[in-house]
Amino acid sequence: MTTSRQKVLIVPCSGIGKTYGSVSREAAYEVTEALRPDETQLLALSLLVMGDKSSRQTLAESPAITIDGCKLACATKMVQECGGSVAHEFAVLDVYRRYRQFKPLGIADLNPGGLQLARALAEEAALVIDGMLSEETGGQNG
Amino acid sequence: MAETLEFRVDKFTFRVALDRYYTPEGVWAKLEGDWVRIGLSDFLQQRSGDVAFAELKPVGTRLDFGEEFAVIETIKVNISLGSPSAGVIAETNPAMKVEPERINQGPYGDGWLAFVQPDDWETDRLRLLDARAYFERIREQAEEEVHKP
Repeated sequence: MTTSRQKVLIVPCSGIGKTYGSVSREAAYEVTEALRPDETQLLALSLLVMGDKSSRQTLAESPAITIDGCKLACATKMVQECGGSVAHEFAVLDVYRRYRQFKPLGIADLNPGGLQLARALAEEAALVIDGMLSEETGGQNG
Repeated sequence: MAETLEFRVDKFTFRVALDRYYTPEGVWAKLEGDWVRIGLSDFLQQRSGDVAFAELKPVGTRLDFGEEFAVIETIKVNISLGSPSAGVIAETNPAMKVEPERINQGPYGDGWLAFVQPDDWETDRLRLLDARAYFERIREQAEEEVHKP
């Protein structure tokens, strides 16, 4: 017997043209493509902004982790505005404060520091996802 | 909350607290008792972006007028801040180690940086801009920047 498990949505900010926005997107790719591909799904903020029905439906059914590049927190605000559930929100700047050795530079192409920062953020997100899924499993088993 | 002068450029509103003096670069100084409290102007913090780290020279450091007393790293730039008063650093804001974002949240309040025990405040004050002069200076600067082709 197989059971289908809800995926955790990863919603990065758009942040086009900004270094910290690029870090947020790189981190989202890292989580959804490399670290937890089976447990997560990338959801594009632009689709929510445009009112895409399918994306909003997906959001209504699954918890989301948002990754914002700046204090405007567009990803978090948009998910909330669309009625979604933000299980955890990351701000790139807060993560950078924990990993000062990874100073991000560049926009279209992040420097090695930016890529390492994205990786560090992704690893933190993966741990959050593991926690969420183990709680879910615990809840189902309990 | 200090009384302020305000102007708006594009979507940004900039405030200048009236009860203190400013360096042209945007460091403010306010005499409180025998000490001078110093911090960043609202214009400088908004222009520089979200602060990631604020590193202040330690208490006891002797400063000349204009000498670096802090380095601020933001998401855009690293800024070296020159002291608006000659003297000795008497106290630093402990919040800067853990919550440097206070500079962005309250540049004229919780986001202050340090107290300096001045050698001669009256002499320093004459080398600074009063709030109205600083206000005019940054308003022109902001308008020039927004109208750059």
